Amino acid sequence: MSDVGFLLLIFIMLISLMNQRHEEPIEYSEAARIEKTQEKDNLEIWIQKTGRMTVEGAEIGYQDLELLIAQTIAEKPLTRVHIIADRSTPYKYVNGAVSILQKMQHRVVSFVVKEAL
Amino acid sequence: MMKLKERRKPDDPGDSGSLNDLSFLLIIFFLVIAGFNINKGYLMQIPEKDKPRLVHLEDLVKCELTADGAISLDGSTVTAEQLEVKIREKKGEYPNMTFFLLIEPDAPYQSVIDVVHTIRALDVENFSFKMKEAAL
Repeated sequence: MSDVGFLLLIFIMLISLMNQRHEEPIEYSEAARIEKTQEKDNLEIWIQKTGRMTVEGAEIGYQDLELLIAQTIAEKPLTRVHIIADRSTPYKYVNGAVSILQKMQHRVVSFVVKEAL
Repeated sequence: MMKLKERRKPDDPGDSGSLNDLSFLLIIFFLVIAGFNINKGYLMQIPEKDKPRLVHLEDLVKCELTADGAISLDGSTVTAEQLEVKIREKKGEYPNMTFFLLIEPDAPYQSVIDVVHTIRALDVENFSFKMKEAAL
């Protein structure tokens, strides 16, 4: 029994290491009624209140973001794009990322929000 | 003759009991940690840029979100609760209601989320949003 337990433990540890994501220090927006927006393939765009935009820990500009989204969608068309912005971010910065998706005719975006307690 | 107490052998399977408990606790811990990485929020349909939709004027509710986070509905400022009441009334009257949100560039993201939350809570199907062009 303990052998099975340890095998499971190693398996789950590896899975959680694979799923590890780069978190940016932001204050999440909150809402009471939210839904799961996670997909199998995901692209997370982090936006801080200063407008600093990062993807997987690396700072990125609008032009590079456009290239990255195009590349990601070309490889995996079902990739879900998530916008994770600080609650006090002026909307113009979020709109910058939304406009790129709109230009590329990518119709769906996930606005990531923390569940309000 | 004195009876000696039988010693447990080191490979006695009965000794791994605490180890089992520990491994299962760790499994639960990692399962919970894995759950933290799941993104939750709102799925937004991005409106097409060059394909405007035709909407009956009476079906349209135009809402504006100002830079200070205030909600303006048909020209008058309302609270989130008042917005909810007004939309519920309008939806009862016009079931095909379209809610259009015009957002000022400096409006805080949390305010946008608050409006989206209200719209989703009221099951408004036709929802569109756009950032207000900066005045020249």
